[in-house]
Amino acid sequence: MHETAIVGGLMRILEQKAARNGVTHISSVLLKVGRLRAVEPQQLSACFEMFSEGTVADGAVLVIDVIGVRGRCRACATEFDVPRFYFECPACAGSDIEVIQGQELYIESFEASGMSKVHDASSVGG
Amino acid sequence: MCDNCGCNVTDANRHLLEGDEHHTIEVLENLLHENDIQADHNRAHFEEHGVFVVNIMSGPGSGKTSLLEATIKALPQGMRIAVIEGDLETENDAERIRRHGVPAIQITTGMACHLDAHMVHEALHELDLTGIDILFIENVGNLVCPANFDIGQHRNVLLLSVTEGDDKPAKYPIMFRAGDQVLITKTDLLPYIEEFSMARARASIRAVRGDMPIIELSSKNGEGLWQWIDWLVQSVTERKVAA
Repeated sequence: MHETAIVGGLMRILEQKAARNGVTHISSVLLKVGRLRAVEPQQLSACFEMFSEGTVADGAVLVIDVIGVRGRCRACATEFDVPRFYFECPACAGSDIEVIQGQELYIESFEASGMSKVHDASSVGG
Repeated sequence: MCDNCGCNVTDANRHLLEGDEHHTIEVLENLLHENDIQADHNRAHFEEHGVFVVNIMSGPGSGKTSLLEATIKALPQGMRIAVIEGDLETENDAERIRRHGVPAIQITTGMACHLDAHMVHEALHELDLTGIDILFIENVGNLVCPANFDIGQHRNVLLLSVTEGDDKPAKYPIMFRAGDQVLITKTDLLPYIEEFSMARARASIRAVRGDMPIIELSSKNGEGLWQWIDWLVQSVTERKVAA
């Protein structure tokens, strides 16, 4: 899977959001990655380390929440964890399974550890 | 009030001032957002021209290009086809298609092991889709990456040849599960490959997707090809009726 394409997308989002929110340094980033997206977390982290160097996210910790695959049987509505890509309903042995979890690939949030200075203190609070 | 002694700084606004406070900013954005936007753009372009787009994927050497050549010969005369070919290097596949009088654009990806929406978008600049009924996009031969990149297609078709091993679907579950149709190709070689069990291959496919339509065919001798042609014609007709 192309971790470089994903990290490219991630860096664009981080830079945009940081600029918009006056963030000068990012200390950590939380990603949600479903097992069905064929992403290797270690490769993603290594790639991120390279791409984030010299940017607002330099040195940031990449926290990857790997989400397991869950399915819902279309025949009997049973919801279940899908073990190692074997899509069969444990209740009725049905094979028409809807994937309800495991296809996520998004950035949930990031921690800003540096913000732009606010010069005019009289404009804050009230 | 006063702006330099700090008495108007409260817990509510303290975080706005310079400091080492950690501040969580929620994002909730798709990491392949740009590719997906481009893919939707491609799809809209296809809808506008009434083209049925099929993304053909498999490992290298499963017979994708040979299938397209056999398909070109077997489809009804009135059906107009175009092809986008994807390979790391060479124009070989596009040339094979052009020899049949079908317009073909070759994308040479260089290093990329899959086609993405942007590459397809660029290729579309060189292709006139007016009057085209079916656009086949032959993806880079690879059972790992292509399924993860939406390119604007309507259907995904996976090829598995009898020379590859009947347990390939279990080994590459994400790719096979992404298919709308699996074609088991090179059936003309079955008499020479006793190790390949059609029953095991079908079971392997069904374990990742129980309702997967499977067609066994040979591009070489035409065995089973009619089922594939039927599916294509039906898909094109359904889209025209719905439009």
